[in-house]
Amino acid sequence: MKERLAIIDGVRTPFSKAGGALAGLSADDLGAIATRELMTRTAFPVASLDELIAGNVAQPIEAANVARVIALKAGLPDSLIASSVHRNCASGMEAITTAANRILSDEADHVLCVGTESMSNIPLIYGPKMTALFGRLMRAKTMWQRLGVWAGFRPSFLTPIIGIQVGLTDPVCGLNMGQTAEILSREFSVTRQDQDEFALMSHQRAAAAEQRLSEELVPVPLAPKYEGVLTKDDGPRANQDLAALGKLKPYFDKVAGTVTVGNACPLTDGAAAMLVMRESKAKSLGLKPIGYLRDYAYAALDGRRMGLGPVYATAKLFAKSGMSLNDFDLIELNEAFAAQVIACERAFASADFAKANLKRDTALGVIDRAKLNVNGGAIALGHPVGATGARLVLTILKELRRRGQNRGLATLCIGGGQGAALALEVA
Amino acid sequence: MIAFTTTVTGDIARVVFDLPGEKVNKFSAVVMAELGHVLDNLHARTDLKAVIFTSGKPGVFIAGADIKEIQNIANRVDAQAKAEAGQRTFQRVADLKVPTIAVIDGACLGGGMEFALACTYRIVADEEKTKLGLPEVTLGIIPGWGGTQRLPRLIGIQAGLELILSGAPVNARKALKLGLVDACVARSFIDREVDAFVARILTPDGAAAVRAKRPHGGLMRWALEGNPAGRLALFRAARKGVMAKTRGMMPAPLAALDVVRDTCRMSLERGLEEEAHRFSDLAFTPQCKHLVDCFFASEALRKEGGESKRLVQSTAVLGAGVMGGGIAWAFANKGLPVRLKDLNWDAITKGMHTANDYNRQLTKRKKMTPGQANLLLHRISGSLDYRGFQGVDLVVEAVVEDLNVKRKVLAEAEHHLRDDAILVSNTSSLSIADMAVALKHPERFAGMHFFNPVNRMPLVEVVAGPQTSPETVAMVAELVRRIGKTAVVVKDCAGFLVNRILLPYLNEAARCLEDGAGIEQIDRTIYDFGMPMGPFTLSDEVGLDVGYKVAKILANSYGERMAVADTLRLAYEELHLLGTKGGKGFFLHHAQDKKDAKLETNLELLAALRSRHPTTRTVDADEIRDRCLLIMVNEAARCLEEKVVDKAGSLDLAMVMGTGFPPQRGGLLHYANQLGSRTVADRLKALSDRCGPRFTPCTMIDDLARDNRPFPT
Repeated sequence: MKERLAIIDGVRTPFSKAGGALAGLSADDLGAIATRELMTRTAFPVASLDELIAGNVAQPIEAANVARVIALKAGLPDSLIASSVHRNCASGMEAITTAANRILSDEADHVLCVGTESMSNIPLIYGPKMTALFGRLMRAKTMWQRLGVWAGFRPSFLTPIIGIQVGLTDPVCGLNMGQTAEILSREFSVTRQDQDEFALMSHQRAAAAEQRLSEELVPVPLAPKYEGVLTKDDGPRANQDLAALGKLKPYFDKVAGTVTVGNACPLTDGAAAMLVMRESKAKSLGLKPIGYLRDYAYAALDGRRMGLGPVYATAKLFAKSGMSLNDFDLIELNEAFAAQVIACERAFASADFAKANLKRDTALGVIDRAKLNVNGGAIALGHPVGATGARLVLTILKELRRRGQNRGLATLCIGGGQGAALALEVA
Repeated sequence: MIAFTTTVTGDIARVVFDLPGEKVNKFSAVVMAELGHVLDNLHARTDLKAVIFTSGKPGVFIAGADIKEIQNIANRVDAQAKAEAGQRTFQRVADLKVPTIAVIDGACLGGGMEFALACTYRIVADEEKTKLGLPEVTLGIIPGWGGTQRLPRLIGIQAGLELILSGAPVNARKALKLGLVDACVARSFIDREVDAFVARILTPDGAAAVRAKRPHGGLMRWALEGNPAGRLALFRAARKGVMAKTRGMMPAPLAALDVVRDTCRMSLERGLEEEAHRFSDLAFTPQCKHLVDCFFASEALRKEGGESKRLVQSTAVLGAGVMGGGIAWAFANKGLPVRLKDLNWDAITKGMHTANDYNRQLTKRKKMTPGQANLLLHRISGSLDYRGFQGVDLVVEAVVEDLNVKRKVLAEAEHHLRDDAILVSNTSSLSIADMAVALKHPERFAGMHFFNPVNRMPLVEVVAGPQTSPETVAMVAELVRRIGKTAVVVKDCAGFLVNRILLPYLNEAARCLEDGAGIEQIDRTIYDFGMPMGPFTLSDEVGLDVGYKVAKILANSYGERMAVADTLRLAYEELHLLGTKGGKGFFLHHAQDKKDAKLETNLELLAALRSRHPTTRTVDADEIRDRCLLIMVNEAARCLEEKVVDKAGSLDLAMVMGTGFPPQRGGLLHYANQLGSRTVADRLKALSDRCGPRFTPCTMIDDLARDNRPFPT
């Protein structure tokens, strides 16, 4: 990148397991809450914003172009343009990198980036047969015609298509995300024990980090009844133990699998917002950014092994920027599945893997677990797919500042077979 | 004066009503005379095929009769003459040999609506400002220029009664649905549409088609209106509705109902005679005068506080209790962002809950869409700290009623505000000057006293402390108006205006109780006087803790005459009763009770009371009424003396809006004037001898009583 992108500040809602506390709020509501809070806290003049870019995966049908709906619900001016971006699980990062492109090509100065997801509100839909029947009904003019249409009805038409299930299945290779994790578990010999231990660590770290993580949160009073308020992420379990994790049955491959709901990330609701601009712009405005995006890379691979996305993307980032793993003080590698994270660790450390897949002679490097996901990850905190990318950036920058360290790598795997890697800096 | 311009294009005449020097068109006697001439000319012409009536005022067709002239009606003869004159003029509209079309783009109310009804056809612009209605009953009269006759004949008895008895206007689309108008068109195309409409009705088939679209009833309508039994049931139900709403205290709706009932089978001519007759029964009554005075007082208050150069664009509320949440709702409801600060998120959530509750009351009645409700709540954001306060133009403090806490909170807030931001307190009884000592900038500090529940109560007292700048007052008053409420600017004193007058009344009701009257007897007496509820029901609703706190503050400030009645102390301090919210007060409140269920008296409280104040004598209804009301009159007069408000009319309206004092009685001072200042003084003196010096008439009453002069209202 020709100039660093300054991240002025960011704020997110607590993450909450789908079907739970935040279920009464849609993706645009969550995004708007984070956005309004960010604009209020930064006191940045809303009239100076040039665009709002929102990443979101399951774009709500009642909020086409969710970015524009977020902008207006957050009280931003009518004149603010807004666009929605989609790169599956990296949509929250895509919002930031798209903003970087806009800004560095001088099309915008100040951009508000949002990542948001309400996995609670992904609808069930009628199948093609029922949809066709409704179509015929609408065209039917007389009572007889309508009766004729209904005569073709069969109860099986009512079987819904479950949006979330379909959404988490790769339409090309036909595998569910959990099934891709099973592939990696076998390829890298990641045992059930390995995975459960990793999941336990995620919970323990997240539970211990509750106070620290609260610095990046805005509590959310719970619509529609407003009888409660969510003040923290509700996924982490302080009292999680291996025995409990061990009791869970494999979910995606019930016969010979290892991936359970306990060592995978849960379906989650949440949103994050960030204000970005050129480093020089921030300086001239006298702002104190929480950090900078120094460089980034996206890479693609076979969809069946999508969990290795971080390895490919990081390799590309290193090649592009000349940085190496040693340059990073902290790493956030998104925990879609424990199996997938551990597979990435092993691929990072393997020279053979690098030679075979990454066009490099040496391994990317050994990831030190003391630097990895130090505040827990998605297995405990949850993975609202459109929001996670933005959260990783926010969380790592705040943690680097707390530790007085400088550089962090935020990377995640992307359903469909991609990876994203962002190099972030504090100083 | 030239109010009407007639232009003839081809064989179509177009009469434009544009009253010089006024923002709205209204029918005064002079205007009616001019309309008469216009009609003479139209009658004389034989070359016309149609006449179009329209308005030159944006957003207004005709706002109605000139209310000043209604106010000036002195007696029955005047009233009858006024009604008949109007009826005759409008009849000449109806008698034109060619079709007439009223083109209505804006308010079409009262006399304006009656004029439109006299036309052959009506076309409305599909605009927000288009409102059609007959609001006469809200001024204590009935439509007197044919409204009670032509409206039911056009849209049916039931629909007509609904409009006349409620006085509430309908919008363009509802008007079309009711058959009140023949077409509803976009303003952008109105000229083209009117031309096309006129062309259509000038063909026999076209005219027939337009008329055929008007409501002609159907089985339901025949069942209710087309036969005597149905009509009997219909009128009975309508009467029941009116009685439930007005308790029979408003003569106008009942009279309107009678006119429609008695004339629905008569010829139009006989019906109009009857209408004029009934109109003249009402137009000079005190009730009518009082309602008209209230109307003018509220018009006068539209300019209260003067014009504000700066507008509040962004707000914050400190304290998310029922009041704080309600105030946040009121701001957010008009599009203003609100930062709601409290000490913890549970409290903030309670405030959001209040706002959500007010939303639900509206969405349930389809007065707000779920989408609007969602947007409203998005405008309220919670916070535990002062982040974001730099962007705020006005902060309302709504924390507990405790001077030290308020001083601390206000000083803290001021520290985080911009230099040009305004700070207001929603205190109900503490002095603004006392709070201002904590501030660096007392000139941008004022009182902004909302009443509970914020979504329903139309009044806000804007309290100007001794150092409050006029700009601050103007800005706050403008905000009050913008959120759809009425501002009354009052001087800084304990209790301000409404509570200062109301507290002695609650105290006195308690003293009547101590002297031997019953809780229900007192409540009944006051309710029958016309207050929306009795003093003890009110105390329970407000909360005995809140009431007691305010009573103590006022007793501190005003001394002996506002000493807290023993009952109030006993109920809260010893028996720890809270009123409705705690389930027990003067009455027992059970959650499962229906709203209209009669409440049981709290016998426990009564027993405790009687052990301390044994019944010594009977207290009759007259005594209760005099004591409770005259003690208020006395305090109201003191408020005038001290210039707490500048106009008696404002005081009266504030009592009507702030306490539900019956508007047909015109307010406290109007009530006093009806008794006569001498009677008021005499009764106060007698009460003073009997019950204590708190009744001693104030100087103003003494002065007025000398020559039995009325309060200047």
